[in-house]
Amino acid sequence: MLPLSNILARKVRTAISALAIGVGVALFLVLVGLTSILREIADRATNVDAHIMVMPSGGPALLLGGGLPADKIEARLRAIPGVSAAIPVLCWSLNMAGRDQNAFGIRPEDWRFFAAPDRIVEGRPLAGGMEMLVDTRLAAAGNLKLGDAVERLGRTFTIVGIAREGVAGRVFVPIDALNECLQNDTRRATFFYVKATGPEAVEPVRKAVEDLRLKAFTLDEYYSRLANLMGDMHLVIGAVVVVAGFVCFLVILLTVYTMVVERTREIGILKGIGASRLQIFGLVMAEAGLILAGGILVGFAMTVGSRAIILHFQPLWTIEIPAIRFVYAALLATGGTLLGALHPAIKAASQDPVESLRYE
Amino acid sequence: METILETRGLTKVYRADGVATPALRGMDLAIGKGDFVSIMGPSGCGKSTLLYLMGLLDTPTEGTVIVAGTDTRGLSDGGRTRLRRAHIGFVFQRFNLLPTLSAEDNVALVLRLRGLPVGSAPREMLAAVGLEEKRRRRPNQLSVGEQQRVAIARALVTRPTLLLADEPTGNLDSEASGRVMELILRFHRDLGQTVVLITHNEQVAARAGRLVRMRDGKLV
Repeated sequence: MLPLSNILARKVRTAISALAIGVGVALFLVLVGLTSILREIADRATNVDAHIMVMPSGGPALLLGGGLPADKIEARLRAIPGVSAAIPVLCWSLNMAGRDQNAFGIRPEDWRFFAAPDRIVEGRPLAGGMEMLVDTRLAAAGNLKLGDAVERLGRTFTIVGIAREGVAGRVFVPIDALNECLQNDTRRATFFYVKATGPEAVEPVRKAVEDLRLKAFTLDEYYSRLANLMGDMHLVIGAVVVVAGFVCFLVILLTVYTMVVERTREIGILKGIGASRLQIFGLVMAEAGLILAGGILVGFAMTVGSRAIILHFQPLWTIEIPAIRFVYAALLATGGTLLGALHPAIKAASQDPVESLRYE
Repeated sequence: METILETRGLTKVYRADGVATPALRGMDLAIGKGDFVSIMGPSGCGKSTLLYLMGLLDTPTEGTVIVAGTDTRGLSDGGRTRLRRAHIGFVFQRFNLLPTLSAEDNVALVLRLRGLPVGSAPREMLAAVGLEEKRRRRPNQLSVGEQQRVAIARALVTRPTLLLADEPTGNLDSEASGRVMELILRFHRDLGQTVVLITHNEQVAARAGRLVRMRDGKLV
């Protein structure tokens, strides 16, 4: 009753405090959610029915262009005992839906390694020629439909299929068509996916590939390499957690401290009419708790709104915010709030009632 | 007569910046159950200090206060709070109602702080002081006389053994002052309420059964 009436009596300050806590909560949820972009890329890149990625020796982790002679390398890879399939991929950047996308040039018959048949939600897999297959995210973001003509690299591609998102690339085109567009005389590949005959063959195959002076990673290793790129992101996440918690701490500290100083006389009255130190402490903490509850709700609403706005302008970004992270955000705000309210609450509880009653 | 409150050698010295200012100098006073005692004296003679010490809101530098047979010397803050809750009701000069609560909630708060059931007691108490119709109003929507009546209702809703009133009519005009004194006298008469009242007003003091005068921190 009293905590609620007190914070309602100071509506503007309560609203500003709740808003500031909400900003801390939303900052945490949205920024941490944004770091899921890299993980989503890593998930997609390794979502292939293969075991090993083969790249030119000395190449970077993320590749573009035709560094490998596709047929020659394929023949060498297939000659390695334990290799079940060698799948050439030519990656090239195409501007789609306002952003550069890594288009995967693949042989149409290799589609089965990238997705099960039911992954195609509209149309069909690539057959050859100037065809294009996109995933549902890109189709939605670029308003692309089956049969649409897409002018890229001086050629016109026709969209023949739309796959449910999660496949390795957002754009697939036939590798021969892409090589033709890039004016490669022979079939070139950026990298290969290699499928081993079984898990026990993966390590021997990898070693054999390295003997060919090529770089080979298992898909797990490749995922880890991409994950290492996320290492800095973890620092960012850590910094965001600290900042968000500190925002809550500071806001509540200042708000509750001001409340306690303003209400010095009221605290004296409360003691005069029988309130114990613990009750005064509890009242102050309850007021902080009510502001916190409001702040958390505001933060959740801001998060949902911010995510919708970001995805409206950047539809291909991934902002994953699992339900458990809302719980973490609430706990983070609660921790900051408890710490922030503690000092003022103790100060209020230990105030001398006589001095409080004489306070003007 | 049973003694409900007693002070023995009660001394209070305030210290600020190394300067000691005695407010009470070894005061001995006994108040019997059902007494109505007025304490008079010039400003700064220690009346309010005495009241705060008797109400266990402050601790003496020397001496002790005995409330309902309990010597409060060495009692913890929690122990003093429990004793205050059990026996003492306060009426302050400046009413000291909580501004964000209605009159009824101000009265109910005392019961809530003690963990007592609220029920209709606040409303009945406000009816007893003639403010039932205005029970939902906040303090700033009441006249000063009405605020003091709410403060009296708040002090008495738990039926305390002892009512301590610090110049309850000090901020009131003569009409409001008269109504407040009538109320206090009525509760004293009808409920056998022990009352200790600090006042500057000779007319108010004259209505008490016993008058105590103070000067320079001592009884005269």
